[in-house]
Amino acid sequence: METIIEVKELHKKYKKRKTKEIVKAVDGVSFEVYRGEILGLLGPNGAGKTTTIKSICGLLKPNGGSVHINGYDSDKQRLKALNYISAVLEGNRNLYWRLTARENLEYFAGNRGVGRKEVKQKVEDLLILFNLKEKENELVSSLSRGMQQKLAIAVALLADTEVILLDEPTLGLDVETSYEVRELLKRIVKEQGKTIIISTHDMPVVQELCERTVIINNGKVVADEKVENLIKLFESRAYCFTVSDELTQQQITAIKSHFPIYEISDQQIEITIERENDLYIMMDILKSEQTNIEKIDRTSVDFEQVFMKLIKEGQENDRALASS
Amino acid sequence: MIELWHLVSANTRKEFIELKRYFPNTISMILTFYFIFLAMLLGINVIGDPQQADTNIQYVIVNYVIWFFMLMTLQGLGFTILIEAQRGTLEQLFMSPKGMWRILLARITANFFLNGTIVIFLLILSMFTANQWLYFRVDLVLPIFFITAIGMVGIGFMLAGLAIIVKQIQSFLQILQFILMGLTFVPLSVAPYLIFAPFVKGVDMIRQVMIHGYTWGDFTMIDYSALVLNSIFYVAIGLYIYMKSENVAMEKGLLSQY
Repeated sequence: METIIEVKELHKKYKKRKTKEIVKAVDGVSFEVYRGEILGLLGPNGAGKTTTIKSICGLLKPNGGSVHINGYDSDKQRLKALNYISAVLEGNRNLYWRLTARENLEYFAGNRGVGRKEVKQKVEDLLILFNLKEKENELVSSLSRGMQQKLAIAVALLADTEVILLDEPTLGLDVETSYEVRELLKRIVKEQGKTIIISTHDMPVVQELCERTVIINNGKVVADEKVENLIKLFESRAYCFTVSDELTQQQITAIKSHFPIYEISDQQIEITIERENDLYIMMDILKSEQTNIEKIDRTSVDFEQVFMKLIKEGQENDRALASS
Repeated sequence: MIELWHLVSANTRKEFIELKRYFPNTISMILTFYFIFLAMLLGINVIGDPQQADTNIQYVIVNYVIWFFMLMTLQGLGFTILIEAQRGTLEQLFMSPKGMWRILLARITANFFLNGTIVIFLLILSMFTANQWLYFRVDLVLPIFFITAIGMVGIGFMLAGLAIIVKQIQSFLQILQFILMGLTFVPLSVAPYLIFAPFVKGVDMIRQVMIHGYTWGDFTMIDYSALVLNSIFYVAIGLYIYMKSENVAMEKGLLSQY
């Protein structure tokens, strides 16, 4: 597959205003985005997602590493790189609220050097595609949050760039509009073959739309894998033990120390194993206090659980590294 | 080139639409200008020495119009950055492959065109109302004013650069208007060293044309050279400082902050 974006060893440090402490927002992030794919860029708050996104957009200068868009360095050849990327940035103020929907579309096209006549047909098509035709002459301030978000995506599409970056595209949207936006994005990828990068906390969006996901935590990439592979991997490692007795404190401590990802509720213990041998370790822990095992099941996981487990695993690894 | 034209035309259209949407603000600006011009045309005639009346009116009106354009140019770019940062649209503008400096240039061109049309129309209207007609050598005043404006744009870019980094520069911009007033109203004959200050040479030449009836031949090559070099110097240094400020803002992640 052909690479359109290459993020290589990206580093970004900030100095905290009050304490003057240096914070590594992004610490050696590397990944590639392939032409025509939908990539999910995920991570908890403060993980370094926004820093990565802004570096890709050329809105932030990295301290080290590089971002190349279609071969152009997004820092040193910023304006050339911007010919290939448009973005809907986080928040609902990507638009001019005192202009109408149509005027916004025409203005942002003009800002990229494209005339009103040239985009006339495309504006019409987008207004129809996004179900905004009836509202084309209404001020953006009077549109609902969902309509504003759809319009912001339409503005990004009008730029006709190969890559579209969407930062939290479904944030603050009701269930119906969120579904509508997801369907629109699917259609855009299918019909227009765009490359889309979605940064989101909305896991159903990732599971439904993204082929591949890059998960960032503490400024580092903790996973770069196809969504279905991640789910399969975690499904193959996730077990649920049902026991007839309550666990003792010693058993709980032992489970905690052996399994970084676990969940204990009533008489069910959910664990994620690293090696086949871990299953025997779990059985030994239960046997040590003569706990009766009623059954052992493979657990099905959704992407949200995968995400949580990956983040937790990363945090445990960091803690282990720090203590050693 | 055609892309730049689209950029200017899109920004002119946007500014025009906003003038219509913020109607009360536009109307108050129009009324203020109309009454100020009228007051100058009628008032000075009554108060001043009748022998000097024409010169006084010309002097004050010329200075006032130039001061207005200066204020608009110098503060305009800084305020554009502030308003866009407040609205949250600044980063979206920075995503344009044309570059933010070109968008700012397009905005100031649009404002020059729109406000210039309004001011000229109001001046003519107030002259008609007061039945006092001023003498304009448009063929001479416009080119000098255009070259002077280039230097003003340079200072505007410096302030825009400052606004990108610091954001809260409203107070500074307000103080600046009084400094500008001083620079506009002081003739070069009183303070010759001000030839090195931005736009003072241009303003002085316009005054000579409008008040003393200078023609092209009355200015020396030194006058023209000083005018052009002054503008080139300030626009070059202004753009340089703006670009450097953009880099600092991108290094420190200040674009989205307000």
